[in-house]
Amino acid sequence: MAGIAIRHVEKSFGRAQVIHGIDLEVRDGELVVLVGPSGCGKSTLLRMIAGLEGVTGGEIAIGDTVVNDLPPRARDIAMVFQDYALYPHKSVYDNMAFGLRMRGSPKAEIDTRVNEAAEILQIGHLLDRRPGQLSGGQRQRVAMGRAIVRRPKVFLFDEPLSNLDAQLRGEVRVEIKKLHQRFGTTIVYVTHDQVEAMTLADRIAVLRGGRLEQFATPYDIYNRPASRFVASFMGSPPMTVVPAAISADGHHIALQDGTSLPIPEARRPTVQAASGRPVALGLRPEHVRPGEARDAGDVAVDARVEVIEPLGSETLTWLTIGGRSMTGRFPPEQAVQPGQTVRVTLAMSRMHLFDGETGAAIAA
Amino acid sequence: MSTIESTLAPVAPPKARAKPGLSPIDRDERRLGFALLAPAFLLLFGVVVYPIVDLVVTSFQLNNLAQPWMGTPFVGLENYGRAMSDDRFWEATFHTGLYVLVTVPGAVVVGLGLALLANQPFRVKWPVRLGLLLPWALPLVFAGLIFRWFFEYTQGLVNNALLMVGLPAQAWLTDPTLAFIAICIAIVWKTSSFVALVLLAGLQTIPRSLYEAAEIDGAGKLAQFWEITLPMLRPAIVVALIFRTITAIQTFDIPFAMTNGGPGNSTETLAMYIHKTTIDFLDLGYGSALAVLMFIVSAILTAGYLRYTRRDPSARGH
Ligand SMILES: Nc1ncnc2c1ncn2[C@@H]1O[C@H](COP(=O)(O)OP(=O)(O)OP(=O)(O)O)[C@@H](O)[C@H]1O
Ligand SMILES: [Mg+2]
Repeated sequence: MAGIAIRHVEKSFGRAQVIHGIDLEVRDGELVVLVGPSGCGKSTLLRMIAGLEGVTGGEIAIGDTVVNDLPPRARDIAMVFQDYALYPHKSVYDNMAFGLRMRGSPKAEIDTRVNEAAEILQIGHLLDRRPGQLSGGQRQRVAMGRAIVRRPKVFLFDEPLSNLDAQLRGEVRVEIKKLHQRFGTTIVYVTHDQVEAMTLADRIAVLRGGRLEQFATPYDIYNRPASRFVASFMGSPPMTVVPAAISADGHHIALQDGTSLPIPEARRPTVQAASGRPVALGLRPEHVRPGEARDAGDVAVDARVEVIEPLGSETLTWLTIGGRSMTGRFPPEQAVQPGQTVRVTLAMSRMHLFDGETGAAIAA
Repeated sequence: MSTIESTLAPVAPPKARAKPGLSPIDRDERRLGFALLAPAFLLLFGVVVYPIVDLVVTSFQLNNLAQPWMGTPFVGLENYGRAMSDDRFWEATFHTGLYVLVTVPGAVVVGLGLALLANQPFRVKWPVRLGLLLPWALPLVFAGLIFRWFFEYTQGLVNNALLMVGLPAQAWLTDPTLAFIAICIAIVWKTSSFVALVLLAGLQTIPRSLYEAAEIDGAGKLAQFWEITLPMLRPAIVVALIFRTITAIQTFDIPFAMTNGGPGNSTETLAMYIHKTTIDFLDLGYGSALAVLMFIVSAILTAGYLRYTRRDPSARGH
């Protein structure tokens, strides 16, 4: 068991630099999820930890060992690939046994460990089959089985669930969480599914364009996003972010069409510094509710309903407020119709403010 | 096109009528289908079926252009009987077998090596590709002539090289064993590039992630070759083996150009003997019988390979 230290790691392919100096400290036994849009360098970073890609600059340590120059097999890691990368010509048993066999483990021990892993993953009845004779979900389990039989220091997952249908994805997600709780092994997990990120992670690292945007617990990522990018990347539907300006006294925030919203007392000191500068106002859909203001800091405004999306447990409602589109979560019994004008409450005490130029959060 | 359609039209409808469920549209489709297939069938018949039938028929005849007054009477299995007691036929068969045994594995091993080499991520790819394609694109007789010149006693490259390092020159093309070796080298050189192309295509279908998984699993380069490359390449190897074996059974051009079967008949193959029998001795009947025998051997070997490939997939557990 070991943590992972990533110290100012850089990576270039030819002249194109794709990782621009990332620092990340994964604690022993922690499950860290790397998220970010396509092409932001998640896989590249993971593959550098695995040793499948060299690092161009900086240092990676697993436990106390700097592994920059160690080949993958010497790093004591296991990886689950997006396409599973099972050996098609080997049986499930041989797939799982391969890593131990290559390391010269005794036959009896291999047998015990493979059967144990197969039992945990409930694939004991599939041991004689070839990967080609398995369903997607079963293949996924075999890929995980191959990783856990070796009991490595670190598990690396690269979008392991992206080839499964939604229901199976949910099931396997729970399974991965159970495995983590059972073995307590350090895991680095790449996904661009934010539900996976939120549900699995001890901490989430949000990457953007080869840089670390924020590294924090799921709670903080969601409730205290460090930037406008993180705020709109995590959360579904995403946070509404609209351009705005703060009055000189820091008491009001004005939307572009002139609509002026009062800023709750508690937030005024921190936002005043930003007065006079362009800012962006962010509100999560759950903080845009139907009806009149109830709590301190709430502001009621008139909004026009554009589109509704009934989801059963709630109705997502696209509204026009202050000339801008915003999203609200309405209770399902709240019957609104497109074209209607309704009274909507904005929970201003929960608002997020971002610098209009850099996108950095203005401290809450 | 119209003649084909009119000749085929009477054939198609009865078949269509035999299936009561067929709608008029389906029947039209079917007729069109036959009409469109007809040219291909005719061509196939003209260049494959007819010559084979003619060959088999001729093999049962006495048909010797040197003795036109004898006519072409049917003689039953006489030509085949003659082959069974013909020493030169057995020798040629033996030589052919030797060529198969040496040059088929030889070409597959060398071809595999070339394919692995060509599959490396070279910065400049064209020299490798050219090196692969050139022997393949070269006509067989050319290859034979080139190697004849290589192995020539006084001027040849090989003997010059031997002399340069202080070794005696060898009578490459006039000593039976050396001639056989020289011919095998030429054949392997000429044919391994085709094998390499087939195997290279196979290599490129192996996903890179398998090697990465194996690397993480602790497999070194050699283990990766044995555990992944070779088993994954098996189907491609079988295809290469089939093609190479069939062409090896028919080995003709290279020994023809290098030694013309000599010294004596020591490097003569079955195909060369058939050629001599029909073209030099004008004995079409006997030559045809020999050709039929060669065809049967090819067919049996190919069937064997195919059975081997079909038997494979889930048969081997751990
Ligand atoms: N072998 C390579 N050669 C050149 N560029 C590469 C290579 N591998 C990745 N890249 C580039 O590096 C950047 C990051 O790629 P990476 O695969 O890490 O993205 P990702 O975050 O995993 O994206 P996705 O979510 O689509 O998997 C991309 O711009 C990609 O084009
Ligand atoms: Mg990726």
